[in-house]
Amino acid sequence: MGARTKIVTDPLSDNNPITIQVLGICSALAITIQVENAFVMACALTFVLTSSNVIISLLRKLIPGRIRMIVEISIIAALVVLVDQTLRAFFFELSRQLSIFVALIITNCIVMGRAEAFATQHPPGPSLLDGLGNSIGYSVIIILVATGREILGSGTWYGIRVLPEAYMGNGLAVLAPGAFLILGIIIWIQRTATSNFKDD
Amino acid sequence: MRKADRQLFVFALSVCVVVSALLSTAATVLKERQEREVELDRKRNVLQAFGVDVRDEAGRRISAERVEEYFAENIREVILEGQTGELIEGLTSAELDPRDLRDRERYLPLYLWHEDDEVSRYAFPISGQGLWSTIHGFLALEDDLATIRGVTFYDHGETPGLGAEIEQDWFQSQFEGKVLYKDGEPADFQVVKGGVERRYPEGNPSAVDGISGATITADGVADFINRDFRRYNRYFETIRGEG
Repeated sequence: MGARTKIVTDPLSDNNPITIQVLGICSALAITIQVENAFVMACALTFVLTSSNVIISLLRKLIPGRIRMIVEISIIAALVVLVDQTLRAFFFELSRQLSIFVALIITNCIVMGRAEAFATQHPPGPSLLDGLGNSIGYSVIIILVATGREILGSGTWYGIRVLPEAYMGNGLAVLAPGAFLILGIIIWIQRTATSNFKDD
Repeated sequence: MRKADRQLFVFALSVCVVVSALLSTAATVLKERQEREVELDRKRNVLQAFGVDVRDEAGRRISAERVEEYFAENIREVILEGQTGELIEGLTSAELDPRDLRDRERYLPLYLWHEDDEVSRYAFPISGQGLWSTIHGFLALEDDLATIRGVTFYDHGETPGLGAEIEQDWFQSQFEGKVLYKDGEPADFQVVKGGVERRYPEGNPSAVDGISGATITADGVADFINRDFRRYNRYFETIRGEG
């Protein structure tokens, strides 16, 4: 497998930002009640993470070391505000449901983490791939969690009814503890399956 | 100044300038559309309070055109004087600065639902403090000016899963048919912690169930419904007098 392919595929499983590095948990718990919300959040994060990685990588030789993190967070915050404003103008109802969680992408450790760990040391091309890979790794997990929560909690998937009307809906799955349980199970499966994972 | 310091300063300044230029452009370009969406949402909420189905079977919201149609055909908006509750003839919300319109001490907007040239329902905005935020909503009354036709809460910053439950159907649908005016005076409306049934085994026509874990939000809702109803009630009394 080529080095470039590995940049994209690694964060999908063996180095997944959520299940292996346990980053971005806040939003993974908060916006996974419905698959639709998780999907929009995934798109928003993909845009922010990929663009921030590319921009920071382009500027990597210019950014003074001493204010490196402030510059990174300014770029990330600007991108997030852009997404938030766009959602408000074109996807009003969704922006209301996601409420403050879009703004909280700024504090999503994955974005800052990739900027620091990858984009500041690699050219734009690989940084773009790294951003994409980590976004997809994040997206897959939150959509999985949302799938579990929406089906157990409301008997629907992406708003489509999958369980009979008589299904009452499990309140636990809708609340935060349900998210912890489902995410915990996913992390467990992932770590058992990932051969190279060492718990220290 | 050392060269490195100067570079640092110039870089920081350029980042600030570029980022602010980008964001202010975006905000300016998108502003009009955002405001239109907010206005549309407000109108949808008025319709919802009036008991109009604002969603089709698939759960999609009715279109902007449909909303405007309802407003053109069925709804007339009048403005009452904030201090006295008297009708200000000929004044519409379009002529007022939105900021003035929000000042309930000065202006009280009232929506009248017309059917066959008769006013059959009344709706007015309600708003007040919850736990974290100001909650905004609408409340519609039947033509007896006492029974609630419907209520919506749409703009708020309450805790998701707790106070934010006021947005949910189960909470809002409870208000339908409840009474705000009884025996010639405004009733004491309550949002009851622990449930209406437990507190009032005989039932209470002016109470709905609260939300566990969101007592302050619920108390806030009850307070501002009572307060806002009393504001509009001065005008309602004159209608009752005529009827």
